[in-house]
Amino acid sequence: MSTSTISPPVRSESAIEPLAPPAGVRQEGYYGLPFLKRPLWGWEISLYFFFEGVSSGAFLFFAMAQLFGGRRHRGLVAASRYVACAAMLPCPLLLIKDLGRPSRFLHMLRIFKWRSPMSVGAWALNVYGQQVTLLALAELSARLPWPIRPLLRLIPERLVMLSAIPFGLTMMAYPGVLLETTSVPAWSKTRFLGPLIAASSVSTAAAAVSLAVPRRHSEVEIMGQIAHGVEAAVLAAYLREAGPAARPMTRGRHAGLFWAGAVAAGILAPMAMSWGKPARKRRVLSSILSLAGGLALKWVLVHAGRDSALDPEANRHASRAGASAPGWSAEHH
Amino acid sequence: MSADLLDFWKSPEPPPEREETGFFTDTTLCIGCKACEVACKQWNQLPSDGFLWTGNSYDNTVALSSTTWRHVAFVEQFDGDGHAPRWLMMSDVCKHCVQAPCQEACPTGSLIYNEFGNVYLQQDICNGCAYCVAACPFGVLDRNTEDGLAHKCTLCYDRQKDGMTPACAKSCPTESIQFGPIHVLRERAKARVEELQARGETDAYLYGAERAGEYSELNSFFLLKDRPSVYNLPEAPRRPAAHLKRNWTASLMAAAGLAAVSAVLFGMNR
Repeated sequence: MSTSTISPPVRSESAIEPLAPPAGVRQEGYYGLPFLKRPLWGWEISLYFFFEGVSSGAFLFFAMAQLFGGRRHRGLVAASRYVACAAMLPCPLLLIKDLGRPSRFLHMLRIFKWRSPMSVGAWALNVYGQQVTLLALAELSARLPWPIRPLLRLIPERLVMLSAIPFGLTMMAYPGVLLETTSVPAWSKTRFLGPLIAASSVSTAAAAVSLAVPRRHSEVEIMGQIAHGVEAAVLAAYLREAGPAARPMTRGRHAGLFWAGAVAAGILAPMAMSWGKPARKRRVLSSILSLAGGLALKWVLVHAGRDSALDPEANRHASRAGASAPGWSAEHH
Repeated sequence: MSADLLDFWKSPEPPPEREETGFFTDTTLCIGCKACEVACKQWNQLPSDGFLWTGNSYDNTVALSSTTWRHVAFVEQFDGDGHAPRWLMMSDVCKHCVQAPCQEACPTGSLIYNEFGNVYLQQDICNGCAYCVAACPFGVLDRNTEDGLAHKCTLCYDRQKDGMTPACAKSCPTESIQFGPIHVLRERAKARVEELQARGETDAYLYGAERAGEYSELNSFFLLKDRPSVYNLPEAPRRPAAHLKRNWTASLMAAAGLAAVSAVLFGMNR
């Protein structure tokens, strides 16, 4: 293309009329259409985040109780091992079901990529899943007949448990980072989703373990309450930092599930019910509420992302130019 | 057999680097003929998206999708006071970011930079995890319901390999879509903006020709006449992976902190 100037037509004094917008026209957006695509994750990923949270939280209880606890924590160690394994089992199935081409799940393990939280998570689940399964089998070995028992006795329990700690922590930490590392306004305008999902993992795991363990362990209940406290604080920090980007959660069609399910039933009620010395019935109810609330939180987080990406105003707001993000705009030049 | 097994572990030699190429879409030259949309569909054998009247000017395509890799946007500007109206048209396409969020997100290695520096999605590797769909700040990537895989503009990789111009640029009758070595395009685009500015079109500017904060330059960039949002483009796209360190730190610290607290609790009551 040549860049030589075009000679002006004779009839016009101003040569070529500049194509400026007509006076008074300042449109916002394009026919009310969003420019982002909605994320395609739905019920599978909501459930996956819930189950992998319960599993990694329970593993944490098991590992810490075994490393730092005493003889009286023996029952707790066994129960949390089983919970960690049982909650892990549906995870790969949910992830495979979620894929557009489930037969290609193994392509996830073609490469490893630090840059991609999904790659980190897929590898972490792969290793962690096997470790937790081995640990549950080792726990089970005493109840199994010959020849399985001597075989399972060969599992180097302590080594497996120690090597699983970094993978368990990654499983707790990565779901929030995965959501934050996107362009979806409700997920990306914050650093608190990671801590939120990690704290929710611990609180739901505490609830699951306390339902599974035959004897009452005050440490698990205290840990559950601490995790609920962290959850509440981090959730408040998230709502503050994300600002209008969090609206699909707090005001949209998931608002009921968010406020009544995740906040009231999942965090506030179990905290309120912990006052005094709760009777067994109250503790069971509190655990069930914690689990239901944790599931509601993940459901709302995942589904609100869809609404957030389809909101043209949220799209524009999240990508507005500022001091840290100059962008490319007419005013810039 | 044994040779095959050994080959499995060897990664194939990538093709030698070629001159980096891209698109410069000069929207002031676009006449809205949609030849690019048609040429793209024909060459890449993309199916029809159905017949839809949107009522949004002449834009019945709506947006880029897994089966639409060029999309002409139409903006009509009237003020209702009898001033001359203005019509803006822009042929939108994948931005082929120099540092692409979709490529960074892809866990399978399906999304790569090919030898021309274009962002290319390897269809036989993609497993439809849809992370790229959520990562792209321009809403380019989309997963198809028929095959469950993500699809996007290839910058006519196959044509380029044979030394041909991509179908859309080839079919564009006004040279609104220009294809070539990226450094040539960037120079030409700058000259074009200067030319327009000298003529009094002071609102002409380049979108994506250079790096802006955390976001890289685009190898498919645009000359625009109004704010980006008017064309349904983000003003300042975020690069998700730029915040990885901060996000991982906060999240791992929370997880490790909770682990430490439970260790103390169990240790105190042993």
